[in-house]
Amino acid sequence: MRKLRALWMRLCGLIAAGQANGDIDAELASHIDMHTEDGIRAGLSPEEARRQALIRLGGMEQTRQAYRERRGLPWLESLLRDLGYGLRRLGKHRGATAMAILSIGLGIGANATIFSMVSRFVLRPAPMGDPTTLLAIQTTHQGDRCCNEFPYPVYADLRDQAQSFSGVAAYNELIPASIGGSGEPERVWGQAVTSNFFSVAQLPMVLGRGFVEGEENAPEIVLGAALWRRRFNADPAIAGKTITLSGHAYTVIGVVSPAFHGAEQVLYTQFWVPLGNAPTLAPNLPKESDRGQHWLQVLARLKPGVTREQAAAELKTLASRFAQSNPATDKGNGFFFEQAGSLPPSVSGDTMLFLAALSAVALLVLAIAGANVANILFAQAAARQRDMAVRLALGATRARLQRQMLTESLLLGLGGGVLGVLLSLWATSALSGIRLPVPVPLDVSIGVGWRVLLYSFALSLVSGVLLGLAPAWAAARPLLANALKGEDALARPGRRFALRNLLVVAQIAMSVVLLCITGLFLRSLQSASTIDIGFRTDNMLMMSVDPSVHGYSPARTANFMIRLQERAAALPGVVSAVATDVAPLSGYGRSDGFRIPGSPDAPSSWVNTTLFMVTPGYFDTLGIPRIAGSDFGSETADGPRVGIVNQAFVEQVLGGRNPIGVQVSGAGVLYQIVGVVGNVKARTLGENTHPVLYRSLKQTVSSDPSSMGYTLLVRTGGSPASIEPAVRRQIYALDRSMAIYNEQTMDEHIRAAYFLPHLAASLFGAFGFIGLVLAAVGLFGVMSYSVSRRTREIGIRMALGAKPGTVERLVLRQGMILTLIAVALGWPAAWMLSKMASSFLYGIQPHDALTFAVVPLFLAAIALVACWIPARRAASVDPMQALRAE
Amino acid sequence: MGEKTDVWQGTLALMVLRTLESMGPQHGYGLARRIEQTSGDLLQLNYGTLYPALLKLEQEGFIRSNWGVSDNNRRAKYYELTKAGQRQVKKATAILARFLTPAQEA
Repeated sequence: MRKLRALWMRLCGLIAAGQANGDIDAELASHIDMHTEDGIRAGLSPEEARRQALIRLGGMEQTRQAYRERRGLPWLESLLRDLGYGLRRLGKHRGATAMAILSIGLGIGANATIFSMVSRFVLRPAPMGDPTTLLAIQTTHQGDRCCNEFPYPVYADLRDQAQSFSGVAAYNELIPASIGGSGEPERVWGQAVTSNFFSVAQLPMVLGRGFVEGEENAPEIVLGAALWRRRFNADPAIAGKTITLSGHAYTVIGVVSPAFHGAEQVLYTQFWVPLGNAPTLAPNLPKESDRGQHWLQVLARLKPGVTREQAAAELKTLASRFAQSNPATDKGNGFFFEQAGSLPPSVSGDTMLFLAALSAVALLVLAIAGANVANILFAQAAARQRDMAVRLALGATRARLQRQMLTESLLLGLGGGVLGVLLSLWATSALSGIRLPVPVPLDVSIGVGWRVLLYSFALSLVSGVLLGLAPAWAAARPLLANALKGEDALARPGRRFALRNLLVVAQIAMSVVLLCITGLFLRSLQSASTIDIGFRTDNMLMMSVDPSVHGYSPARTANFMIRLQERAAALPGVVSAVATDVAPLSGYGRSDGFRIPGSPDAPSSWVNTTLFMVTPGYFDTLGIPRIAGSDFGSETADGPRVGIVNQAFVEQVLGGRNPIGVQVSGAGVLYQIVGVVGNVKARTLGENTHPVLYRSLKQTVSSDPSSMGYTLLVRTGGSPASIEPAVRRQIYALDRSMAIYNEQTMDEHIRAAYFLPHLAASLFGAFGFIGLVLAAVGLFGVMSYSVSRRTREIGIRMALGAKPGTVERLVLRQGMILTLIAVALGWPAAWMLSKMASSFLYGIQPHDALTFAVVPLFLAAIALVACWIPARRAASVDPMQALRAE
Repeated sequence: MGEKTDVWQGTLALMVLRTLESMGPQHGYGLARRIEQTSGDLLQLNYGTLYPALLKLEQEGFIRSNWGVSDNNRRAKYYELTKAGQRQVKKATAILARFLTPAQEA
């Protein structure tokens, strides 16, 4: 308390400084007078008495100084002075300040943007109650680390037997439905959850409540806040009202908080229905009694006081108990869990690697920027050494000068931080606008939250301090005698700007690394754009519908699609129209293992094959070459199954034999091959060409309906967009309530498929460009500085007969030596690091010869230009002028 | 060095408080002379160091100051103990006594 009071009084003293100065002056004057009087009384002369009094006091000015320091807060005062002085100085050197803040800003902006991704996908806990005790459990098989979903009976056993949890809930993560309300019918995605889901997850509600026990099969629904606002105008009285979902009536019982859109934070689901009611919406869900079908996600709430280790141990015991009681299905199975809301284990590995690579590169950009700014500051420090030397000579301590230099660089760091946050605000909103090439609703928006702000602030401080080290070192260094004479006080005999050279070498070396990685991703994009996808994308419109969510039976669905295809094909301006389940390059697809019947039933003889359902004319419409046999068209809906395969299927499944007429089996169904077509990229651009079997849509919908809807592909004579309203009318003519989604041209669809190479190339391209500019500016700065410092030396050389060409070469050589050293250091580092990037590259090797040959040459060329300008200046030095200047 | 200064300042502060307790309100010069007398040669007091110490005690609320007139009609600033200051002297003296007593016995 006393300390606080004293601090407060001192703060007040800081403000009321002027008045108190008079006070202490009067007090000291009275002190001296009294002492002098005593001295006179003791027999001294008045002058001598006064002199003695002053000596005993210890000096008037010293006492006043000590008193002042106690009155105010000297460190605060000097900090404020440093800040004021620093700001004035930075304001005076506007060019250098702007350059420095821009450099650091770019560096911190890059880092903040990448960190906002890390924060969003790795650090952010799920918006559910007490996320630390909420676990997402998955099943494993044969000791694999990861992961599968739960069959219902396994979930039920776990729920009933596990003692570690206060509650265990299950849900199916994606159920499509079409929803009524205001406007045209819309296809939305939701989840089917057990009745204890809301209490286990402890979800906050905007209004109403979640499901409770006894509502396992109830036709009730909980809405997501966004859907509630969009389709129901945020109706505050919606609880208790009935809405229509895929043609069925549901009673709304609550609206969940806007932050929650599924326990997996990337999925964007908007409604929740009881699990027992889910078959109404998705008739082909597995049965609850089936112990072999894995289809449920499980969330479990740890009991208070139970640790994760205890839970893991109990799950292990339960797994072996289940394996004994149900050997057919559970043998070899185990459980795996992590905190709910983590990235799904299937993608977390790649995502982490990608984010780690991006973070490393962003830090590299910041380091290059930092080296640049350190160089600027160091040059300034060198220019200020006379100023510093004068202050040292007048009694300033070196620590005091260093503190001031650090204050200035911290100001730069913080200024850069502010700019960086602004840049990352822009970048994150731009990145959030990117559409991912997947058919399910995802929320991958990123933003600048408190974690990102904190991270940026920490980075600003660290860079500020690191940047200040060199100038602070320089400030405390000047050889007083040299500096006051106006000579270079930093240059020690035998060393010429060693630190600056070191900085620029480090900077160029890092640029080599950055540019090599950038080059790899640009080459990857280039090679991705030349990937032969196997079909034509121009003049094609696509549009999806999902009749099954409107209560259509599979047979009616097939009928609907065929009639729709016929109607669309008859439209003016349409060349042809076909229906399929999934358009190629959608990022997903149906697949099964295939083999020739009669071949030995070893696991290796099953070849994983992607399946498409198509209508006749599909290959001609998409421009996929038909190589042998015939197209669909002659088969009947319940006749023998026929299939058309691609060349990869012929090679990999049939071993190259003539396929026409051969029977193959997959998932227990026999197909007779009637044709062979060219290879296409079926799911993703990056995939290796693999076997594809096309099935007849007419024959397949009834037995194996698509859960992801069906897509109409329309080849048009002119612009596909102009046909769109006409196609929509055809859909509504067949069914006014049908929800239409994924309306786009095939070119747009393909652009989405290029998402990853585009994203990587643009991120790394931006980073690489920033790094290159910064490195070039850095080298230019160092060489210019070096030339300006050596003006006199160059003047003497020229007076002694050196030719301008010789001088030019001298400067160029110095710069190129630095560049060569840097390349020699950076190139092997890049070579090693490029392996990290290999899993994100399309069609090129991580040690791509072109990249690794061109980057050093390119960088050397840039360096040559950066050195050439100062070299020209050196060559144009007038010896008379240079010598007279001294 | 810092530690030595701290000890010195703490001792000085205590001597100021004890002097004010025993002699009543004093001005700075009087305090300096008095402390010099009582501490003998042990403390070579530079009078000037007294003023920051007085300011510190005042900031901490142990003493307060007022301008007054000295015996020989000179304007001087007088310091006196506050209630908190009186408590502080008693506390410090008690602690000091407890530490010093065994040493004296030995």
